[in-house]
Amino acid sequence: MTDIPDPIQQRLGLAPGTPPILALKGVSKYFPGVIANEAVDLEVYPGEIHALLGENGAGKSTLMNIVTGIYKMDAGEVIVEGEARDFGSPTDAIEAGIGMVHQHFKLVRAFTVAENIHLGWPDTPKRISRRVLEARTSALSDTLGLAVQPEAVVADLSTGEQQRVEILRVLARDAKLLILDEPTAVLTPEEARELFVALRAFVARGNAVIFISHKLDEVMEISNRVTVLRGGRKVATEWTERCSEKSLAQMMVGREIVLTEAGQRAPLPKDTPPCLSLANVSLTSDQGTVLKDISLDLRPGEILGIAGVAGNGQRELTYVMTGLATPSAGTITLDGKDVTRIGARAMAEKGIGHIPEDRLQSGMAPTLSITDNAVLREYGQPPLTRKGWFSPRGAGNLAREIAKAAEVMVPDFAMPARNLSGGNQQRLVARREMRIADKILIAAYPSRGLDVGAINTMMRYFVELRDQGVAVVLISEELEELMNFSDRIAVMFHGEIMGMVATEGADVEEIGLMMGGKRREVAA
Amino acid sequence: MSTIRLQRMPIAPARIALVLRLLSVVLALLTTAILLWATGRDPIALGAKVLSSTFGSSFGLEDLALLFSPLIYCGLAVAVALRIGAWNIGAEGQFNFGAFCATGIALFVPGPTWLMLPLMALAGMIGGALWILVPTLARAYADVSELITTLLMNFIAMLLVYWVATGPWLDPSGMALATTARLPVSVPPIWGIVHWGLPVAVMLAIALALVFTYTRWGYEVRIAGANPGAAAYAGMPVKRQLIAVMLLSGALAGLGGMMEAAGTVGRLQGGISNNYGYIGIMVAVLARAAPLGVLATAFFMAVILNGGIVLQSQGLTTHTVLAVTGLILLYAAIGDEAAHYKILRNKTGES
Ligand SMILES: Nc1ncnc2c1ncn2[C@@H]1O[C@H](COP(=O)(O)OP(=O)(O)O)[C@@H](O)[C@H]1O
Ligand SMILES: [Mg+2]
Repeated sequence: MTDIPDPIQQRLGLAPGTPPILALKGVSKYFPGVIANEAVDLEVYPGEIHALLGENGAGKSTLMNIVTGIYKMDAGEVIVEGEARDFGSPTDAIEAGIGMVHQHFKLVRAFTVAENIHLGWPDTPKRISRRVLEARTSALSDTLGLAVQPEAVVADLSTGEQQRVEILRVLARDAKLLILDEPTAVLTPEEARELFVALRAFVARGNAVIFISHKLDEVMEISNRVTVLRGGRKVATEWTERCSEKSLAQMMVGREIVLTEAGQRAPLPKDTPPCLSLANVSLTSDQGTVLKDISLDLRPGEILGIAGVAGNGQRELTYVMTGLATPSAGTITLDGKDVTRIGARAMAEKGIGHIPEDRLQSGMAPTLSITDNAVLREYGQPPLTRKGWFSPRGAGNLAREIAKAAEVMVPDFAMPARNLSGGNQQRLVARREMRIADKILIAAYPSRGLDVGAINTMMRYFVELRDQGVAVVLISEELEELMNFSDRIAVMFHGEIMGMVATEGADVEEIGLMMGGKRREVAA
Repeated sequence: MSTIRLQRMPIAPARIALVLRLLSVVLALLTTAILLWATGRDPIALGAKVLSSTFGSSFGLEDLALLFSPLIYCGLAVAVALRIGAWNIGAEGQFNFGAFCATGIALFVPGPTWLMLPLMALAGMIGGALWILVPTLARAYADVSELITTLLMNFIAMLLVYWVATGPWLDPSGMALATTARLPVSVPPIWGIVHWGLPVAVMLAIALALVFTYTRWGYEVRIAGANPGAAAYAGMPVKRQLIAVMLLSGALAGLGGMMEAAGTVGRLQGGISNNYGYIGIMVAVLARAAPLGVLATAFFMAVILNGGIVLQSQGLTTHTVLAVTGLILLYAAIGDEAAHYKILRNKTGES
């Protein structure tokens, strides 16, 4: 890669010779059998948002964990404002003005926002009332421009709100450098926009942000400069405006990505009988009516896209389709047979796979071994179970097979699954489900937490399944993804289907309007 | 300048965990020794006395075995429940009620020994299961924490046993003040005063270990215990499993009670459970809910308890033993966490 000719300081509007807030020189970190980082150089200047881009496992989180003193580097130097530092813990790092918000939040869920903000903060007065805590939090929230409710309990907050609390926690401690590890992976587009506004305001005050991501469009939108990591090594640092999504993708995966196309094929005959039909299905829960009068037919060999802002009943729709919830009204038929209340196991046995939205809460048991998690769908059948006897060795074999097909490197199958990166968890679950999906695969936000390369692979699998005659339900927030891969798109709003359009010739504008609650007059 | 730093690893290496466990025991004993020394006693002489009275004679070993056996039953009971994510604090009560039911059969149902013993064992297990039934259903269907309910049931069972042993079922011979008559059938001895309760307990531990590792049910319980959401997702009958496992837990403690009444004591008397149910919690936690681990930790706790009895004969109070067990638990907890850390040494030039 070419060097950047003009001084960085000048382009960022800094005085000549301004030192970087953070400089890394030749940082290396090795885990048993893995090069997590090797000889990484990085400079981050005041006033910039510096994106750290790389595929899953590229070493982004590890590098930042070294900077904040969670991991110990094996070689190299960390220089903070011109001084070589070696932080022993995140507390030391924050004292030096470097704070990090992790992929998995580290808040105490049972505590209020105000309590979380003040927890473990030397500035917190020794004796303090709840009222004062909350007042201090409000004041911080105002000065730093991050709206939070001080008295709310963290467990009750949405992910976006929790993230704001995390950021406020770091900024309250006078951080000059804020490191965000894949912050938008858990946010709605709207919440992401709010975050970007707050970040821009933060760097405008002479601070800096390191923004870890594997989403190209975001990196293009938010960052001044971008550093690309691949296989633990730095590929390049570039001014973002000199890059394109294409060039970044190429640097990231080290080869030209041929984006999967849905592929040409003959349209389904109109009279193909549906494999799964929902007729006037409704579902009520403690939150009231979450699904209202849903009718749709799913045909073998099609990809049905479900569009909509997250939280409009998509999750509940997957529940009734997979037998995890029994509708309060309406019927579900599979190949002409009523399956409305046969339950999750029977549905899976009939060939319905399910990639759930929240894989850690429902798709996996994070504290159990990778093996235990990999066999969750097939544990009850031979060769794993014969006459009630379970074979741990058979489970190990199947787990290795699934990991191999999913292209996940597993150093130790006895390791708890929570130690896998989010992307690798997703790949394992997806593979596991694709194995049992003879008829239908229900995939809720399958690309969340994956990088371009992995999303591409996953979509290729879906297309292959479709070509084999499997019906795929693809739930996504990314309209582009839906437009590229699905044959038809249904739009959900407040638990209802606003309309169904054939993707070919579909009007994105119209889909957008339906996502906002406008009903379509004619059904496709 | 060289610095030493700690790094937390996602999994604790088994070898280091074991070493730290042993170290925690040594530390706990050392702390006790220092305290004893500070109060003017001779810890070395006391320690020697404990060891020689426990391991130095067959009487000592038999006593040890009689403590070991109920601790296995209660430890298994708590461990089994932990497997599915439930805290059975009520092994004490289930133990008492199991003993009560078995005694009832022995006292009031006539029959030959070969029939009576299985019947009493069955009564003990059913009694133990009954005693955890209400907490189980409350947890399964109303989401009421079993922690409190199982604990409360203990007091009822304890008082019930006190009452029948001093009242309606009091030994009619007039020889005893607070026990039932000697039971007409007893669990046969295998060695000295040690009876079949011990080998049965050991076999149960082995059987449970096999069941948890090598059966489909064991796998399902593992998943449901770790994440009920994932179990439901895979279509497992989570509620039914929870109920089955908790009833099994109660039955194990109840069987322990039967063995105690019909084997070790030969009668039903107040306080027959001797805190085994509570110590069983510690046994299970230290064993990390592994049935074979329970064998090791139950043995260890038996040594401690027996040591306590010896110490009492030397004029120390029972609280000493409680303090030792508490210290061990504390150090073991610290050790378990510490096992996750790797010590890193490196030399840095400047800074
Ligand atoms: N604690 C650890 N022990 C062993 N390997 C690890 C550990 N943490 C990360 N790794 C490995 O290091 C590599 C880089 O991981 P990570 O920094 O999490 O990647 P990224 O954040 O870019 O997705 C991966 O191969 C990962 O499996
Ligand atoms: Mg990461």
